[in-house]
Amino acid sequence: MTAVTKTSVPAARGPMVEAWGIFRRSPSAMLGLALLAVVILMTFAGPFLYGVDPFEIVWAPLTPPGQEAAIPLGTDNLGRDILAGLIEGGSATLAVGFAAALITMLIGVMVGAYAGFYGGVVDDVLMRFTEFFQVLPPLLFAMVVVTLFQPTLVNVALAIGIVSWPQTARLTRSEFRRIRTLEYVSAMRAIGAGDSNIIWRVILPNALPPLIVSATLTIGMAILFEAGLSFLGLSDPNVMSWGLMIGSGREYLLDAWWVVTLPGAMIFLTVLGVSLVGDGLNDAFNPRLRER
Amino acid sequence: MTLSFAFSRRFLLTGAVALTAVGTALPIFAQDVQKGGTLVMASLQKPRHLNAAVQSGLATAVPAAQIFATLLRYGADFEPQPYLAESWEFSDDNTVLTLKLHSGATFHDGQPITATDVIWSLDVAKQNHPFSSMLEPVEAFGAPDPQTVVIRMKQPHPAILLVLSSALTPVLPKHVFDDGQDIKSNPKNNLPIGSGPFKVTAFEPGQHIILERYDGFFLEGKPYLDRIIIRQYQDANSGVLALESGEAQIFPLLDSTRLIRRLEKSGTMTVTDQGYAGIGPVNWLAFNTKNSALSDLRVRQAMAYAIDRNFVTKALHSGLSKPAIEPVVQDSIFFAPDVESYDFDLDKAKALLAEAGYGEGGNTLQLRIDYIPDIEEQQRAVAEYIKAALAKAGVEVTVRASPDFPTWAQRISSYDFDMTMDQVFNWGDPVIGVNRTYLCSNIREGIIWSNTQQYCNETVDRLLNQAGVEPDLAKRKDLYAQAFRQITADIPIHFINQVPYHTVYSQAVQNPPVSIWGAMGPMDEVWLKQ
Repeated sequence: MTAVTKTSVPAARGPMVEAWGIFRRSPSAMLGLALLAVVILMTFAGPFLYGVDPFEIVWAPLTPPGQEAAIPLGTDNLGRDILAGLIEGGSATLAVGFAAALITMLIGVMVGAYAGFYGGVVDDVLMRFTEFFQVLPPLLFAMVVVTLFQPTLVNVALAIGIVSWPQTARLTRSEFRRIRTLEYVSAMRAIGAGDSNIIWRVILPNALPPLIVSATLTIGMAILFEAGLSFLGLSDPNVMSWGLMIGSGREYLLDAWWVVTLPGAMIFLTVLGVSLVGDGLNDAFNPRLRER
Repeated sequence: MTLSFAFSRRFLLTGAVALTAVGTALPIFAQDVQKGGTLVMASLQKPRHLNAAVQSGLATAVPAAQIFATLLRYGADFEPQPYLAESWEFSDDNTVLTLKLHSGATFHDGQPITATDVIWSLDVAKQNHPFSSMLEPVEAFGAPDPQTVVIRMKQPHPAILLVLSSALTPVLPKHVFDDGQDIKSNPKNNLPIGSGPFKVTAFEPGQHIILERYDGFFLEGKPYLDRIIIRQYQDANSGVLALESGEAQIFPLLDSTRLIRRLEKSGTMTVTDQGYAGIGPVNWLAFNTKNSALSDLRVRQAMAYAIDRNFVTKALHSGLSKPAIEPVVQDSIFFAPDVESYDFDLDKAKALLAEAGYGEGGNTLQLRIDYIPDIEEQQRAVAEYIKAALAKAGVEVTVRASPDFPTWAQRISSYDFDMTMDQVFNWGDPVIGVNRTYLCSNIREGIIWSNTQQYCNETVDRLLNQAGVEPDLAKRKDLYAQAFRQITADIPIHFINQVPYHTVYSQAVQNPPVSIWGAMGPMDEVWLKQ
């Protein structure tokens, strides 16, 4: 039986290489990756190519796109360059997305891992704690956190992380509960490995694929969250972000569509990219889809 | 019948006041008044309760002016007109004011309104109203007979007539409110028995206030409307949609210039900026004069020169707000045009900053700006503009958002700020709405809209105090002009613009409230054309 497996799957291919092979063959996943690449390139290379300060008033307020050659995407309600805002705002928005996803993963995996691994009282305590956060409406809770402290970028990322981790914790817990009963875990225990060794070096790497997918989707969700908070006026007024652009432009939606629509479109494309990549990863890591 | 009424009123009046009163009243009778109907007013204000004797602010004043009568009222100019008081006169030394009450006036429970009620109400306002300066000079109130009220003052107090008008000193029924409870928290403040043209029958916070015609109102034939419903909306957009759909007929205190322009263009509504001379709303940038950088006069002047008022009024506010250059609005009778207005001059700003040791070759000046939350166009947009404008002068400004009004108020009143956008109302007379911002004695920590700039100039104090007790109007104007020149020279505050409050109403609304108090005045003469 081992011989059969060996002939059908060349031993040289590691699981990641294999996953990439599947990922690469999915057009939607590659489209997502391309979208993300364009967005990231724009926010990192953009400032060098288009060095306009997004807070500077450059032209008459609410100039439509295309009217002035120097300001291709028009100006907002204060006369600030929209294109400069899109470029500069991307890095802040992406930073919030990634930071929030990181916080979510840190808390979620930690809580889920211990709950899933130990079970019993530890599980009960940690899961009741998780449920406490789960029953709070996330947007409302994030608003409270941001309102209590200052609406700075760091606090916004923290707030989003704090409200989003329960799902990751649940997912991690179920993965850990499944994996901890598997033979190789028992084998590790038999040779005397300690708990933390088993949790972090044996179970976690095996539980990683669904967690990576979930982390990817969390980035998209966090970006949407930041936009939502900004729409409600809870964003850092000193850091240009797409959310801030939407938040300060929403009053002018009826008179100047571009002020809100353009940053909105950027958020849409980024979140779409992230989600497609997430779906692609999900397929790639799913063993049932392998070798099809 | 209407004519005879107008004439009978004229003969009851004294002096020149009579002519002005009838002069402004005449257009009302020029066309046939149609009685009845319900006027729905869109409102964004959230009143805590309806007793304006112990609560300042627009939210309470608008319904309270309908529920309660006051001794005097004002038309579109700053001339007092008779209301519950039919006539009044000052003693020769201007320290005693005697008023004769309208006969047969009753409260909404049918009890007669007597001088005892009036002086009790004035005393309640004197003890409890947040504007303590308005009745502070009063030594004693007297009621020699049920129709006569005497107000005795320590010194002449020319603002007293305005103080006795709408929104400031409502006449309460003593027999109802004098029940031993603290008047500020009296549950009767929610559905008070009043003395005005309309009685309140429902007050659902966040929903509506229903005001029904009081048939026993002392001005015969009035009010014309059967009912006023003040309906609360969450934001200006939904209020305007309600107007456009016909759900509401009038929307006062609208300050979103974008919406005002849209309504102007549509042409189906009448839009007016009249009715706000009394409130006198000013949007300004206040400096914390105890801040190490901002204590330097040159730095404050530099800030002012770097800010382009024209950009704010023309670009940010669609040309609908007027520039403000001094403590009072242009419609105030005390407006003095010859003050330093700090017109935009970026080079001057840079030179002043360099002189003070900032900018090229010196330190970069870093400052924080606050603003009142939830007032987008007037506060947040201007704060963001100031950040951008000062960057051009080499000043780094950080915008600090406050999540809600109490947070902002707490920060400012505990002096935890460098500079802040603010909105302060004149309230008709400098004694009420202006002095509080500049007097040394009003540097009171923890109280918002006191002298939070911590500015103190004894010359200004002397001028403001002198003007407050000067009975001669011309001399009074001159004293205020001197005070305003000194204040603008010292620049504890950089005046930016007047809040572009507008009233929008449908074509059916006749005699819209456009007195100096606008919707904070009685709407007994408003009627609806069918």
